[in-house]
Order: sequence, then structure tokens, then C-alpha cells
Amino acid sequence: MNTSVRIAPGLVLKNPVLSASGTFAYGEEFSRLFDLGLLGGIVTKGLSLNPKEGNPLPRVYETPCGLINAIGLENIGADAFISGKLPELRSFGTPVIVNFFGSSEEDYALLASRLDVNGIAAIEMNVSCPNVKQGGLEFGRDPEVLFRLTGAVRARTGKPLIVKLTPMVSDIGAMAQAARAGGADAITCANTIPAMAIDEHTWRPVLGNVTGGLSGPAIKPVALKLVWEVSKKVDIPIIASGGACTWNDCVQFLLAGASAVEIGSASLRDPLCFTDIITGIEHYLESRGLDSVTDLIGKLETP
Amino acid sequence: MNDVLAVVKGNRAVARDTFLMDLDCALEPSLPGQFLMVKVSSSCELFLRRPLAILGQGEGTLEILYKLKGEGTLELSRKKPGDVLWVLGPLGNCFSPPQNGESALFVAGGTGLPPVLALASRVGSGALVIGARSKGDIPLLDRMNSLKGVAVYPVTEDGSLGRRGMATDVLGELLAGAAGPCAVYACGPRGMLEKACELSGVAAARCEVSLEEYMACGFGVCSACTVKTSAGPRRVCSNGPVFDAATIAWGAR
Repeated sequence: MNTSVRIAPGLVLKNPVLSASGTFAYGEEFSRLFDLGLLGGIVTKGLSLNPKEGNPLPRVYETPCGLINAIGLENIGADAFISGKLPELRSFGTPVIVNFFGSSEEDYALLASRLDVNGIAAIEMNVSCPNVKQGGLEFGRDPEVLFRLTGAVRARTGKPLIVKLTPMVSDIGAMAQAARAGGADAITCANTIPAMAIDEHTWRPVLGNVTGGLSGPAIKPVALKLVWEVSKKVDIPIIASGGACTWNDCVQFLLAGASAVEIGSASLRDPLCFTDIITGIEHYLESRGLDSVTDLIGKLETP
Repeated sequence: MNDVLAVVKGNRAVARDTFLMDLDCALEPSLPGQFLMVKVSSSCELFLRRPLAILGQGEGTLEILYKLKGEGTLELSRKKPGDVLWVLGPLGNCFSPPQNGESALFVAGGTGLPPVLALASRVGSGALVIGARSKGDIPLLDRMNSLKGVAVYPVTEDGSLGRRGMATDVLGELLAGAAGPCAVYACGPRGMLEKACELSGVAAARCEVSLEEYMACGFGVCSACTVKTSAGPRRVCSNGPVFDAATIAWGAR
């Protein structure tokens, strides 16, 4: 049985199960719980050029079947990651995909060139960040801005480039096409959904940042539909991200058109879920008499 | 740290909205101050685990003491003997025991009793100040009183048990009256911890506090519980929950 999937030239995953950005830190903690080499790939916490402090507390709040987070992209910065975290992380024998973000096109491009080092298998660009020079609108909300940003980053890196789209657009297919035209090798679909929580007793927002992003199984049906939409519009591989907790969820995302699936919130609840999910997919293939994960990708049968 | 299946042996109310749960569970040995992430429901509707301090641990057994705070602890309170729960732990760091002849002063308020009582039981000497709104809010008073070598000082806001006032009122007096060096160990509301830190500073006593913050993972990956300290940002779950009180940036949150 072949569980491997191809995401980009030079980026083949041994199975379609990845960690997700922001719920895996830089891998150290999870490496004490299980062999990271079992994963299809490791997606790191989002990095910026310089270390970033993050938002005031509280930063998380549970909602039915999920959580809202407003961590604020706290991270140690690209240099500290490359010198302090990457050497161990790359030793697990699974591709290291580095998530990154910026506040201007120049930031993104400079950071992409900084991350063009040995040991990083691919970079995943978070475009759900405000464009400081253009009135604060997120880069991922305007196809022209996203096309330019992707092109600027493409020009500065030899790594496979994955663009992680925001779900907060009216036509996500058009955003995926813009990223592809700009030079993206693959699309991650999607990200958390903006949300908030209010304390009716104090009349105050629960989160220190007032608003945050909803994740977890609550958003899975939304993500499934977004993946399906994107798969109809672009021919590059899609990595699903949005509420997958079980092998069943992963198979659904694969059928919708994803080539791989990131496991995020589920790993906060069940840090050992990755191994169950990977073996679950294998058993599913076996029970269906399928030779390869690729036999599932995009095979949704619509009426 | 490991994720282990625990079997509920007992689960009973021991004070107002406060429950003591006994579990059969083969957890690695823990130290006072460490905690668990308890999966309160197998349904993902209650999605996150709940961070709960370890009150006691024996051969294959665990004790947790928890207060009803919301849906997660309500679900926990409904568990019956024979029910099973996944617990991830032991997590976080621990208190450092008294050293160089220090007298131990334990201070607990609100939900902060379990790690402090776990430490007081281990140390077996010193004074334990337990603060609460009212007499009915104080659990396990018999157990505290049975600790040989530990003097127990209940303090209630309404005066229904022990002194009327705040736990830190008594802490201030104990520090002022101490003959030698003291180590203060505190867990409870943030205001209480900040006051304990201030009083310890004045008395030149070492002060360790166990912090509580909203957490998602409990083992250092999500950065939900990052607090500001003089040594930079620190995660309560994995760098703490126990911190040298003097390093906490109390005003910043």
C-alpha cells in the first residue's frame, strides 16, 4: 500500500497527515510523546522576521466543538528558529514545513529568503495578516495583492511555496488561482474563522484581544466545502486545514480534493491522535481494497 | 508525561461546589505543584481538556480536588465510580521544598488549595493559611488539621470560620513574627498571589506562586498561557505553573 502524496517538486510526504501551524510549536514537546518521524510532515508555528510577543491574556476560550484563540502569533523569530530549533527538528526524518508571516510585502520576501536554508523542506505562507502599508486589509483578501505577494516571495526562495488561504473571502477559488499564478506550488485551505466570545455577566469580551479565530470540529464542514471549491479551480495540490480530528475526517478531505490534511486543534485535545489517524487511513485503504492514498484524492462523486 | 486511562473510584462533594475525585491510574510519579490535563468528555462538544492540580498520588492512585466553574467541571462532577477518563500528566514544574532552615508558609485561596496542600503534606512542617469566602467553602479541613507539624489557619471573609479577613492578613503576621528565614508557597486568586509576593519581599522571604491561566494544550505548544516575567515570556503550563514570585510582572497581563 502506498500512502505517500506529492505536494510540490521535491516535496513528497510519506503519508498525508501533517501537524498544523500554531498547535505544534516547534515540535520539541510532541517529540517527547511520539516519534515525529511517523508524520507526513511537520508544520511549525508561524515565524516572523523578529520575535513577537503576542496578545494580552486570556488567549483561548472553548466553544462547542472547538475553541477561539487569539494567541497573536507569538514566536521566537526566524533566526532563533534556524539556530535553536531546526537542527533537532530536521533530525526526525520527516519534512519540516515552516509557516511564516509578515506585515508588508518586503517583510515576507526578506523572511522567505532568510528561510531558504538546508533542513527546511518547504515554506507555508500565512496571508491572514493585515497589510500595514495598505490600510490593514489582510493580504489574502484581495486577489491582486495576493498575486503580487506570492510573486515577490517566489522570487526570493527556491523552496516549495505553499500559500495558506484565509476562509474570509467571497470567492476562495479566485484566491487560490491568484496564488497559483503568483507561483505557489500548493495551497493550504484554510485558516481559523474570525470569532468572538462575550461574558454576559461582565458585559466584556472574554479574550484579551476582543476577537480571535475559531478552530476545531466546529469549522470542519466549512473547511470541507472550501477545499472542494478550491479543488475545482486549481490543479496544484491542496492541503486541508480546518477541524480534522479523525481518520474519517481526513478521508473526507481527501475525497473533497485535498492531497494532505493538517491536524491542529485535535492535537491540543489528544496529542497522540496522529498515530491513530495515520493507521486509521491505512486500515481504511486496506478495507476498501485501494492501493494508494491517491486513489481517494478528489474522488468525490457528486450527483 | 503520558496520556493514561484513569478509572473513577470516588467523586463526592467536600465543600460548596467543590468535589474530591479518587482515580485508579498508573501515572508516572508526580511532585507537588504538577498538574493534569483531564479529558472530561469523550464527546468533542466539550473540546478542551481541563487543567487540574494533583492533590495526592499513591501506588496507582490519584486524587484531584476541583471546584465547579463551568461546563467542564460540571461534567466531571457527574462521573460515577467505574467511569473512565483520559489524563495527560504529570505536567509542569513543581515547588522547591524549604532549604537552609527555611520555615514553610503555605497560603491557599479559592481553587488554589490542591497544590499547596500536596506540598504541605510532603513537607510536614510550617503553617498553612487557607482563605475562603465562608466556612462552607473550605474543603478537607480535617485532613489539613491532621497534618502533624503543620499549623492550620482558616481565614474567612465573613468570619464564619477562623479569622475574619483575607489569607494574606495572616501571612503578613506570620512573616512578621518569624524567627528565621521563611519560604512562602502560594496558590489562589491573582490578587492574593501579588499580595503574598509583596509581603514576602518586605520580609525578605522566598516566595513561590503557582499561577492559573486559561490553557488549551497544557504541555507547552499553544502559547495560550504565556505570562510576562523578568526573564521574558514564560508559559504557565510548561515553564510553570510554579514561579519565583519576584520574577512575575504582576501589572502586565
